Amino acid sequence: MDTPHRILLIEDDKFLLKLYSDKLAREGYSVSMAITGEEGLGKVKQEKPDLVLLDVILPQKNGFDILREMKADETVKHIPVVLLTNLGQESDIKTGMDLGAADYLVKTDFSITKLPEIVNRHIKEAHGA
Amino acid sequence: MALAEQQGYAKLTDVTSVISHQLKTPLAGMKSSLEVLLAGDLGEISKEQKEYIQLTLGNVNKMILLVKDLLDVSRIDEDRFVLKPEKSNVVELVKDAIGELSTFAQAKNTEIVLDAEPDIPPLTIDAIKIKQVIDNILYNAIRYNKGKGRIEITLKNNDGTVLLSCKDNGVGISEEDKKMIFNKYYRSPRVISLAPDGTGLGLYISKAIIEKSGGTIWFESLEGKGTIFYFTLPAH
Repeated sequence: MDTPHRILLIEDDKFLLKLYSDKLAREGYSVSMAITGEEGLGKVKQEKPDLVLLDVILPQKNGFDILREMKADETVKHIPVVLLTNLGQESDIKTGMDLGAADYLVKTDFSITKLPEIVNRHIKEAHGA
Repeated sequence: MALAEQQGYAKLTDVTSVISHQLKTPLAGMKSSLEVLLAGDLGEISKEQKEYIQLTLGNVNKMILLVKDLLDVSRIDEDRFVLKPEKSNVVELVKDAIGELSTFAQAKNTEIVLDAEPDIPPLTIDAIKIKQVIDNILYNAIRYNKGKGRIEITLKNNDGTVLLSCKDNGVGISEEDKKMIFNKYYRSPRVISLAPDGTGLGLYISKAIIEKSGGTIWFESLEGKGTIFYFTLPAH
């Protein structure tokens, strides 16, 4: 990658935040982080990343609120969003996909080793890069 | 309950549910962390370190499966169990289950044979949940064999209903246990001595999944000879 793709990771669990951001950074991505919904939405609008990894349950503003606001904003609606969901929230997956998420990952089910590949695929699909 | 209320779980009415929800995020972190180590991302690991990490990861994955089961149970009990039906190929689900359990079957010296009629139609089912039922029935058939096991799975199209049967030549189910095996947390003292691991939730959850999908699940068994599990799924 010449100019590293920029990923915004919005996740309130600090352990997962470190694991996902370190993994993506090791693979050459430029990773920005937020731990609350408000902070996350602010960074989406300010930084306009190439992709957003978005937890659903967040303090202040949840992932669905962020997704809804992103899709209503012409300047950021094109940014692909991959939802990070928990076990037992399968019904949330449909809600998220209906709101326009590009994909979802169930945190306990997906393998972190596949994260860069998933992120890369969605960036290519959305930006043709 | 106090803990649930304090932590804002207003809708969750039992301990199982609260504990399961609290376990999910730390388990996800542990799994990812071990996968990173195993992949050698943080530096080369020795053969012995790899073995320890793999063993730990295996246990974390077991805990994740247990949490999934407990979450299913709490949803069944609170009548919040929702399926997401989509057009799916049930024959492929069975083949996937056989493939994934083939190492375990080999270790238990058990052969698995599949006989699917060619005209099995695509079904509108929750593929993940139906696969969970197939996994459970097949896993039990392998686990409770008597050595040199043989398992025959058939899929038939019976006028608007697809029938799956899974026949084994294992230890069978005693008359006493026959009344109990779909009960929540029930494990026969006899099978505990054969396979101490297990929660007694698999068949309870399987029954709920099949019935919620509009089908029926039942079995025939002769103690010492083997068992045939059946379930049906509507084709429309």
